[in-house]
Amino acid sequence: MVLEVKNITKRFGGITALKNISFTIQQGEIYGLIGPNGAGKTTMFNCITNIVEPTEGEIFFNGEKITKLKPYKITEKGICRTYQNIRLFPQMTALQNVMVGGHSRISAGVFRSVIRTKSQKQEEKLLKEKSEELLELVGLGQLKDQFAENLAYGQQRRLEIARALASNPTLLLLDEPAAGMNETETDNLFDLIKKIQSMGITVLIIEHDMSLVMRLCDRITVLNFGEKLAEGTPDEIQNNEAVIEAYLGKEEEETIA
Amino acid sequence: MLIEQLINGITLGSIYAIVALGFTLVFGVLGIINMAHGEIFMVGAFIGVLTTSVLGWPLWLAFLASIVVTSLLGYLLEIFSLRPLRGKKGVSHLAPLISTIGVSIFLENLSHHMFGAGNKPFRTAFAEIRFEIGSITIYLVQITIFVISVILMVGLSVWLSKTKAGKALRATAENLETASILGVDTKKIITLTVIIASGMGGIAGILVGMAFNSVSPQMGLSMGLKGLAIIILGGMGNVKGAMVGGLILGLSETLLVAYGDSGYRDAIAFIMIILILLIRPQGIFGSKTAEGR
Amino acid sequence: MLGELLNPYYLQVLCFILINIMLALSIYVPLSSGQLSLGSAGFMGIGAYTSALLTIHYELPLYVTILVGALLAGVIGIIVGIPSLRLTGVYLAIATLGFGEVIRVLFVNWESLTKGSVGLTGIPQLGRELLKFAKSIGIEPSALGLKNNQFVYLSLVIVLLIIVLFILWFVIRQQNSRIGRAYSSIQMDEKAAESMGINITYYKVLAFAQGAFIAGLAGALFAHTIGYISPSDFSYHRAVEILIFTVFGGSEVIIGSVFGATILTLLPEVLRFVSDYRYIFYGIMLVILMAVRPQGILDLYLFYRLKGKRIKRGTS
Ligand SMILES: Nc1ncnc2c1ncn2[C@@H]1O[C@H](COP(=O)(O)OP(=O)(O)OP(=O)(O)O)[C@@H](O)[C@H]1O
Ligand SMILES: [Mg+2]
Repeated sequence: MVLEVKNITKRFGGITALKNISFTIQQGEIYGLIGPNGAGKTTMFNCITNIVEPTEGEIFFNGEKITKLKPYKITEKGICRTYQNIRLFPQMTALQNVMVGGHSRISAGVFRSVIRTKSQKQEEKLLKEKSEELLELVGLGQLKDQFAENLAYGQQRRLEIARALASNPTLLLLDEPAAGMNETETDNLFDLIKKIQSMGITVLIIEHDMSLVMRLCDRITVLNFGEKLAEGTPDEIQNNEAVIEAYLGKEEEETIA
Repeated sequence: MLIEQLINGITLGSIYAIVALGFTLVFGVLGIINMAHGEIFMVGAFIGVLTTSVLGWPLWLAFLASIVVTSLLGYLLEIFSLRPLRGKKGVSHLAPLISTIGVSIFLENLSHHMFGAGNKPFRTAFAEIRFEIGSITIYLVQITIFVISVILMVGLSVWLSKTKAGKALRATAENLETASILGVDTKKIITLTVIIASGMGGIAGILVGMAFNSVSPQMGLSMGLKGLAIIILGGMGNVKGAMVGGLILGLSETLLVAYGDSGYRDAIAFIMIILILLIRPQGIFGSKTAEGR
Repeated sequence: MLGELLNPYYLQVLCFILINIMLALSIYVPLSSGQLSLGSAGFMGIGAYTSALLTIHYELPLYVTILVGALLAGVIGIIVGIPSLRLTGVYLAIATLGFGEVIRVLFVNWESLTKGSVGLTGIPQLGRELLKFAKSIGIEPSALGLKNNQFVYLSLVIVLLIIVLFILWFVIRQQNSRIGRAYSSIQMDEKAAESMGINITYYKVLAFAQGAFIAGLAGALFAHTIGYISPSDFSYHRAVEILIFTVFGGSEVIIGSVFGATILTLLPEVLRFVSDYRYIFYGIMLVILMAVRPQGILDLYLFYRLKGKRIKRGTS
């Protein structure tokens, strides 16, 4: 069990964004988190990474409680995420962005960084190589010296994934990675996520593109107005009455119309 | 006398509040600190001296002149140093800060040239009128200052909440883009805001001249710094906060001078804001903003 | 010949340029981690007074007192930096400006120690100390073809230059490393930086304290360059002047601070012909500059283009 979310509740003033949510993710899975707009999916990510503190409940990562840890500690433990509204470092190059992601995997402090000790040079070199590999992996090898702000939308999304991977996560959280992508890009994304899975990384993904989610995920949790509506395999979810009514139903109507 | 000191403190505090209101209005709508506001206030005070002492105009006309000149300055400030920076890419929050600092350097040195470095006396017959109640002396000027500041405060609040222009201003302060989508002429509103804020600076300037009988090119700076301190104290962009913050500062300064060590008078404002920032960073009346996307 | 070129007046201007570069860097470093700190004048004052008082009262060697001054400023930087973490943007700017004012008022009022607004005089001059030292080891300025006071200022310039180069070396190296990447990521998006495993508390306080240390060092050197200090040397005007060095030159790149401090220290000298009106011009110039080039004269894109990489300013 990589991640265990236990009875998480999150309230913002009057609104309850998450109501007593629990689920668990197994090693090596691709796990989907879906639900209509405002269901609380991003809030779930924010709670896991402790960007916002859950009002109630606990989260365990590899059996260890991480609920009260600082976000950077959680990343050090091996959880890293991407953002729904891309949050790259705009005036850094693609390569620099990815290297920032590797921050917690190298250790030089001020002294070693300025003196440029042998070990510092070595770790910088390794990080740079690894970052370039990751850029290749997401298909941005040619663009490594471009400023992030000058990349196209889909490229920025992939750069965020590369940056997150640079922190060597064992659990990767992707918040709507396919948003704004066309069909080919989405297909490439599918391959990319499968590859990430084959690297032994567990993936938790929020996504509105149902066909992608259904093809990709091993199991899915559906949220609606902060409540857990259902949990199961893609087949079970697609045939779940409550889900169809609350979510897929609407979606299908839209696509048919 | 404690009561006299309290009255002095309230007078001073009222002036501070008016200055702070100018800062708050501009910050509320544009999200920037107008570093030239103190100097606009100073110019307002000089116009008061010029018109009453030199030209011998009546006080009400001096007020009018001061308001007109400072409003015009506000307009020029908007045109030359704020508007060019708006909506441009690569403009950090540093740019308007530096740009308005440029204006403040310009105005301070210009006044220096035109009026000389020293203090100018501001004498009006009006400033001598006083009442004795028992052993307490109250100057008419003090009452006037308090009344004017209350009128400004109430007027501004009513204007903001009741009139169409006021509502448009609040909408602009809330969210510039949304406001312009909703059909608010944001350019006009912003210009109006800067003009009103500057005009209030002018009023404060002339009031200070009357209350303390002296005006100098350097007065803009210390008043500007205190105005900044007050809007942090009261909460940025908050009208009520500016009033309360101004009064708190005016009272504590007066009481410190009367009963404590006057040398630290100019530090109080900052000691207060450092404390408030540590205890309640959003200010006394400010509200917290949420983070997390 | 050399004697002609080494006009003490020019050398002194050079000294101020070098000190101002340090001061500009003291804003640049915290700014590179996203913190607009206007406390440099205050930290400068702490460094200056500490070193001056230690030399006057205890006759310690200058290299000790200067270092103590800078370190004290750095430690106070940590103490001020930690609570300041809660503040961002203009709030931080005003609070640090306030800190500077409190320090200045303290200097004015702590008369038994600081001699109040009159300030301290008779502070040992670094160049003269170097002259004494040179003579003590048997080097006579005349042997180098220099007059005594040329030697005094020349040695001072050399010492300051070495210190500035060292700071530049340090900051540039730090910038192109794990630390520098952490700083800029925090500057660009603090929350995202934290999600990438960066301990923002640590790095922000570090950058803040480094800025304070550099300002303290510059202050101590300032005191031993001109020989007398008073609280008004460390006022609001100084804080603003330092900020303008950095922003004028371009706050995105380190070279901007060097450039800004150099040009703006020279400018009043060059503008002497309009003597009395120079600050009026100065004000107008700032307004125009911000309207035309709000990011300062030098920026990141210019910098990259000079390095031969082809990048356009973004459209997204
Ligand atoms: N920081 C916050 N402060 C206040 N309310 C918040 C905050 N973050 C989220 N909310 C509220 O919590 C609810 C859930 O938001 P959340 O962003 O988690 O939805 P979501 O499922 O990610 O939606 P979407 O599909 O649109 O991304 C919404 O009503 C939102 O307004
Ligand atoms: Mg979301």
